[in-house]
Amino acid sequence: MRAYILRRLAQAVVVVWAVTTIMFVMFRVMPADPTAVLMERGMTDAARETLIAQWGLSGSLWDQYLRYMGNLLRGDFGSSFFYRKPVWEVLWPLIGNTLWIAVPGLLLGAFAGAALGMLVGWSKRGGKIERGGIFLATIIRGAPSFVIGIALLTVFSSTLGWFPGFGMGDPGPTQGFARYLTLDFLHHLALPLIAVIIYFLPENLLLMRSGVVENRTEDYIELVRAKGVPSSRVAWHAARNSLLPLITWLFPALAETIAGIVVIEIVFSWPGVGRELVLAVTRQDYPLAQAAFFLLAVMIVLANLAADLTYGKLDPRVVYK
Amino acid sequence: MSQSTPKTDLPPIAGKGMLAAARESFILLIGDSFAVAGMVILTIFAAIAIFAPWLAPYDPFQAMLTESGRLLRLAPPSSANPFGTTAFGNDVLSQFLYGFRVAFIVGLVAAFAVGIISTVFGVVAGYFGGLIDDVLMRITDVALSIPTLPFSIVAVALLGPSIENIVLVITLLFWRNGARIIRSAVLTERERVYVKWARAAGASHIHIIMRHILPNIFRVVFLWITMSVAFAVLTEASLSFLGLGDPTVISWGQMLNTAFSSGSLRTAWWWVLPPSLGLIFLVSSLYLIGRGYEEQANPRLRRR
Repeated sequence: MRAYILRRLAQAVVVVWAVTTIMFVMFRVMPADPTAVLMERGMTDAARETLIAQWGLSGSLWDQYLRYMGNLLRGDFGSSFFYRKPVWEVLWPLIGNTLWIAVPGLLLGAFAGAALGMLVGWSKRGGKIERGGIFLATIIRGAPSFVIGIALLTVFSSTLGWFPGFGMGDPGPTQGFARYLTLDFLHHLALPLIAVIIYFLPENLLLMRSGVVENRTEDYIELVRAKGVPSSRVAWHAARNSLLPLITWLFPALAETIAGIVVIEIVFSWPGVGRELVLAVTRQDYPLAQAAFFLLAVMIVLANLAADLTYGKLDPRVVYK
Repeated sequence: MSQSTPKTDLPPIAGKGMLAAARESFILLIGDSFAVAGMVILTIFAAIAIFAPWLAPYDPFQAMLTESGRLLRLAPPSSANPFGTTAFGNDVLSQFLYGFRVAFIVGLVAAFAVGIISTVFGVVAGYFGGLIDDVLMRITDVALSIPTLPFSIVAVALLGPSIENIVLVITLLFWRNGARIIRSAVLTERERVYVKWARAAGASHIHIIMRHILPNIFRVVFLWITMSVAFAVLTEASLSFLGLGDPTVISWGQMLNTAFSSGSLRTAWWWVLPPSLGLIFLVSSLYLIGRGYEEQANPRLRRR
């Protein structure tokens, strides 16, 4: 078990290294002239020199790469052009904001999806619940995240006025973690969180439903039935065996979910890492864009790591080698 | 006992052609009513995409003017502009109809590129194995940790927002999943008895790949291509919504971006609804086809 964890950690380190290398290629090699992309108009020669030094843009590509890796290892991502301060000072407070909609959104979406999927999977084959459930889930799954966001925003914020549709609210006198416990914050959180849940739910529903349908004709279900167990409890037997494929899918799906969250943060002006990435790109603030991208990639690597380490707890058949 | 020479026209060794495999898949598809619904929507949409310039009443960039010569901003639907106008005085119906073209071009080109690259890599890695397989699997391990949309945002911004670059980025992103899925399908197929038999009968690798492996994994490739079209359409729409779309063409994501950033969401429902519904119907028709097909092809899911 310990050997497995160590190997898996080493693998995660290799992946992070590879992602940073891809970033190097993206920001230094892809634009024909990286200095042109990084330079601001009307920059003085002195500022230009500083920038070239800061980004290590002198010397051969290999020298640049080594210097870039050295800076990254020291956690030095440079300073934001726009905010005029180190990128970590900009990004650090935003990580929590993104997690506030991403983590509960993922968990609630998976939970509600699994529950509804169990219901649809256990309903009569070819019946109204099955056909209606599958149809609705497929339609919602086809809706891009910003369409879901715009629909919620238009109905519940602009028209009904039940929820605010912009930002995180005014922190007022409460600072630090306490602000996350204010009613005002939860009021602002509601719509973006619901958008993430709706975005994430249908795929879980369909996966769970397939699992339950595949399991309901198995011999062990017949056996449980024959013992006279009520139908709802039999459904639970089938559902439990359909959970593992769902969880196997859940964590890798995070890479795709992050994509949806970036867009939802934009729709609701939610000050998270994804929104900052888009803003940084449109402002040509590349040090900030690079750090935000790195942060999102690391979140995915960590989630995958967590997933692999929990499988063994969930499925006794998993053997660590 | 006389020695019989193997003849490649024996059915088991000859295998089957891709056309036969495609026909089998089509028969499976029309057995599912949801898949049929998806195909009908897709056909209608494709027809609209082709005939958009003849169907659209105006040029999508043309500014509508009132009788007094002022810009016709945010006009509700009328007989002159059946879907109303935008905040910049453009005809919504014409923009919506041209939006079909971008969605189809991006979807088809990306699916073609992703389909070919995934299939070639998947088949080569799965069939020949060895070093190339190891290298490919390590590459996909890393590639799967790349957040797709953040990567597209940065890459398109750096390369320049154009349809070509958007399709290029989508291809770079999505071949990896396909290669993996197709590789594992090839791995199972390669171990089948008929492949060994064909090999023993003297069939070449090319013959086995073309007549045995590919027709038998047709289903997997088809499903993957359907999904790639959906991903490609969604990615283009998201990029355009974020303001990174090709500024020279009209796409649905871009229409929504303009409506959103000009603050017209609440008032101009006629501007917001058509592109939203267009995207939902296009993507879910692809999902309906994919799901119906999976359902029919998997004996454990098929109704009995």
